[in-house]
Order: sequence, then C-alpha cells, then structure tokens
Amino acid sequence: MNIYILQIANGIGIGMLYFLLAVGLSIVFGLLRFVNFSHGAFYLIGAYFSFQLGEMGLNFWWSLLVAPLIVGVFAWLVEKFVLRHIYALPHHFHILFTVGLALVLQEAVISYWGPLGNNISPPDILQGVVMLGSFIFPKYRLFVIAVTAVMALVLWWVLEGTRLGAIVRAGSESTEMVSLLGLNIDRIFSLVFALGALTAGLAGALAAPIRGVDPFMGVEALGIAFVVVVIGGLGSFFGALAGGLLVGIVQSLMSTIWSEGAHLMIYVAMAAVMLLRPNGLFGRSS
Amino acid sequence: MKIFVHYRFTLLVIAVVLLLPLMVSSGTLATEVLIFALAALGCNLLLGYTGLMSFGQGIFLGVGSYATGLVLLHWQVSLLPSLLIAMLVGAFVALLVGWFSIRQRGTYFVMLTLAFAQMFYFLAYTLKDVTGGDNGLLNIPRPNLALFGKVLLPTTSAWQYYSFVAIVFVLVFWLLQRIVDSVLGRTLLAISDNETRAAAVGYNITLLKLAAFVISGAVTGLAGGLHAMMTGLAPLSNIEYHTSESILIMTVIGGTGNLFASVLGAAFYVLIGNWLSSLWPRWLMLLGLLLIAVSLYMHKGLYGVAQSLVACLKSGRRSKEADPEPMNNPEIKETHS
Repeated sequence: MNIYILQIANGIGIGMLYFLLAVGLSIVFGLLRFVNFSHGAFYLIGAYFSFQLGEMGLNFWWSLLVAPLIVGVFAWLVEKFVLRHIYALPHHFHILFTVGLALVLQEAVISYWGPLGNNISPPDILQGVVMLGSFIFPKYRLFVIAVTAVMALVLWWVLEGTRLGAIVRAGSESTEMVSLLGLNIDRIFSLVFALGALTAGLAGALAAPIRGVDPFMGVEALGIAFVVVVIGGLGSFFGALAGGLLVGIVQSLMSTIWSEGAHLMIYVAMAAVMLLRPNGLFGRSS
Repeated sequence: MKIFVHYRFTLLVIAVVLLLPLMVSSGTLATEVLIFALAALGCNLLLGYTGLMSFGQGIFLGVGSYATGLVLLHWQVSLLPSLLIAMLVGAFVALLVGWFSIRQRGTYFVMLTLAFAQMFYFLAYTLKDVTGGDNGLLNIPRPNLALFGKVLLPTTSAWQYYSFVAIVFVLVFWLLQRIVDSVLGRTLLAISDNETRAAAVGYNITLLKLAAFVISGAVTGLAGGLHAMMTGLAPLSNIEYHTSESILIMTVIGGTGNLFASVLGAAFYVLIGNWLSSLWPRWLMLLGLLLIAVSLYMHKGLYGVAQSLVACLKSGRRSKEADPEPMNNPEIKETHS
C-alpha cells in the first residue's frame, strides 16, 4: 500500500511541474485566443539554457532564475516584432508560425548542443533523500513541489489580486473593451506572452535535473501541456492545476502498475475526461 | 477542349507522374514523393476543404503501415487486399479519432488531434508484441500485382513499384477530385466558410465532417500501406508526431484548397528535403523558417505563388494571344476569406 502513497506523492511532484508547463499556454490562450505551438520549445530552451549556464559555472540557483528570464525576454521580442502582426489572421496561421518557430528552436538546439541528451545534477544541498515518516522522498522532488507551489500562488495572486490580473481577466472577456478603457492592450499582450514563456522556461529548468536535457523534450512537453489543458479546460488557471495534478498522479501510479503503459494512460485519462466533460473540468462551453 | 479544362488537374497529375522519373534518379525517392503526396491530399481534404487542421495524420499513416505490414507478414495476402486493409484500418481509426475531436472547434480541435497523435504513438510503443515497439515491423514482403495467380505487374525493382504506386496515385487523385467537385465537396467548403450558416441551412455538420475525416483517414492509411511495402518496414517513426507535422507542412507549403497544390507541396518537401539533408543535417531549420514565411507572407503556399506567376505571364501576353492554354487557366475557387 505504501508504494501507492509514495507514488501519489511523486505524482504530485510531476503534476505540479506539468501545471507550470501548461499554465502559461492556458493563460496565453485565455487572453490572446492564440494557441502557442512553440510552448514546448520554450520549455526546451529553458532547460538547455539552465544546462548551459551550469556548464559555464553559474551556480544552480542563479541559472534557475536567469534561464527562464532569457526565455521570457526572447518570447517578448518575438511577440513584439512578429506575432502581433498575425493576430488578425485565421488561427491556423498562428499555429503554422509557432510550429515553424518551434522547429527553428529545436534545430538550433541540436546544432549547438548536439542531438544527444545530457544530464544535470541538482546542487549538493538538494541531492539525496529525506525521510517523511516511513517514506523516502528525493529532496530535489520536494524542492520542485515547493517551487511550483510558490509559483502557483504567485500566479494566482497576480491573476486574482493585482490590477494587471484584473486587466488580463477583462481582456480575455473582451480585448476591445479593455482598450476602450484606455489601457495599452498591446503591452499587456506582450507581457502575458512573455510570462507564459517564462513559466514554460522555468518548468524546463526545473525538470532538467530530473529527466536530463535532450532536443526532443519540447515535443513531448507540448503533448503533455495540451493534454493538461484539454483535461482542465482551455484558459483556466485551476483547470491547469487540476489537469496537471491528475496527469502527474495517473502517470506516477501507472508507472508502478504498468510501467510501459504509463504514458499511454495519460492519454486514456484525457479521452475519459473528454467523454464526460467535452470542455474540460473547468472549461466554459464555447 | 472542354474535357481538358474539366480534367485539367488529373491531367496535370498524370504529367507529374510521367515527368518524375525523368527528374529524379532514384525510384524509391520518386515513389516517396507520390506516397507523401497521397498523405498530403488526405490532409488537404480536411484543412483546405473542411477547415480542420489535423495534427493526427501521422496516426493514419502509421496504422496503415502497421496493418499492411502485419497482414503481409502473418497471412501472406496479396498486394491489393493488403492495401485495402490499410485503407479500412485508416478509415476506422479516423472514425474513432474524428468522433472525439470533431465535437470541438478551432484550436481545441487542433490540440485534440495532436494529443491523439501522441496517444497512438505511445499505444504503438506499448504494444510491442504487435508493432515491434521501438524496432517496428521488419522484413515486410512486397508481393507482385497479381490476379488469379497471373502476374499483371511485377513490383520487384524500385521503378516497377513506382509505376504501381503511380497508377494508384492517379486513381485516388481522380477520385478525390471528383469528391471535392461533388455536392459533398461543395458542402464541406460551405462548412469551412461558415459552419453556423451551413448548420442553419440544414446540413448535418458533424456527420459531414466525420465523413471528410474518414475519407482522409482511408487515403492516408493507403499511403501508409504503400510506404510499408516500399521500405519493407513499418517503423515506430511512421506514427510519430513528426510524421503528422511533416504531412501538415507539405499540405500548407503546397497551398490549401486545391488538391493539386498538395502534390506540389509533397514533391517540394520530399525532394528539397532529400537534397538539403545531404548538404546540411539541420535543414529542418530552413523548413521552419519557410513555415514562418508562409504564415506571414504567402498564405496560399507554392500553388498560390505559381498562380500569381501565371497570372503575371498572362497579363503580359494578353495582347498577343487571346486563348491561353487550358492547363494554365487558374479557375480556382477562393476557399479562405
């Protein structure tokens, strides 16, 4: 029995990471009505930047901070100079653009760091395990849960408690209305897009010591982020949280029961939720 | 003359099929062009005619190649039945995936098809006993085209197989062109233009979309079956996200809303990809840049570029000639607002 409780705890760790991965995608969609297919690539370069900064001798804590920031600034520039010119086009051109961007980023990663994966070790203080009662839990995973929980609280506070959050929420209802109120909606779009990319980059940097870095982790992450928002409901903060945890726990539990099918069961869970609630757990009907 | 205008795209495709061997030195490469052109046709039926952007086309290609591989390996069936099975399996899986995905619109639909692509990838990966997992199916035989024990067309050499694939390709193209020119095709266009209005007129939107999905799945499954026989393999990579993405990219680069455009797109992708990848292994980066360019500047893809070139040439010589060649006559319906 204990093994299942441990796996649930493990699943919460993975699930929080999935939440962080998916929440940016969801918020960006909520405000911009824009599905970002390069979200997985932002996760990928977040992981590789933190790897590179570590190689260059920067300490882990700084690289965890700096790598997502670089990703955020990069996304901010992309939004500012290109993306905003294609918002008016039909959605499949958004998808094409971001798929193209993801390809470019992935190939850039391969040409600089090579096609093979690399490992990152967590800092000394986070290596090893802690005893939680009779359970053994890796320290680093506990750290990931803590960081993602803090990020979830911060994001929730930003969205629900600040003026910016109020504007973002209003903007997802009607961008025209927000700009009529005299707010610079373009700047808010850039900011939200950059924030979405930053959270993906942070998820990548946090995941790197657990799973290592490889050039194809972006595609996998994109698939999982989609499943999380499909389960939770597109554009919903709590949907991303519930979806992330559900996916994490399913994956973790299944890896003890049927390790080969662990990834498959994520998608089966998605299909099950789709059958019961086509718009996701927290989705509004469109 | 009228018959040339009416069948202009089928005639163009026949021309392409006959010219490919002159332009490409490898029979396998030429066959690959036609196989991926088939897959792109299936994708275009969804994107160009029904307005559905599917990231799941790799599923149908993958299951088609597994189905053909399995029946050829285990049951020693002949050529045509094994392809028929690939088509049926492709259509059936498309029915399943479509049944789930079609209820959703726009971006949600796109995300769902991608999630299903991942699902089938992991399914194929998990069912090692059936699919061979990471290794895929190996040593798939390629039977001759035979009827009642009499060999009609041998398929042993690459060029012999090419001629078989070419016949299949022209047939499927002609059929699909008939479908898009039929009432069904026009109704699909109406759905892609304005779904709500089409529903208000009384069309059963879900059923029609599902029909498009199933046809697309059958064609793509057929492409998968042909691919398995071409390479003698049904690898896991056939069902990967990357395959779905490539099929979609070919379709978009060719141009949507016209079936012949998909042939251009697939030929461009396969031939340029083959050439560039020998020069620079990271050629996909150029492809990514091309996609960005398409999404920013050339919304109708290569076909759109060709069309405007033809229009340019025509306006240049209009004073000299009154009757332009029928094949250059771009009587293409606008499909995107």
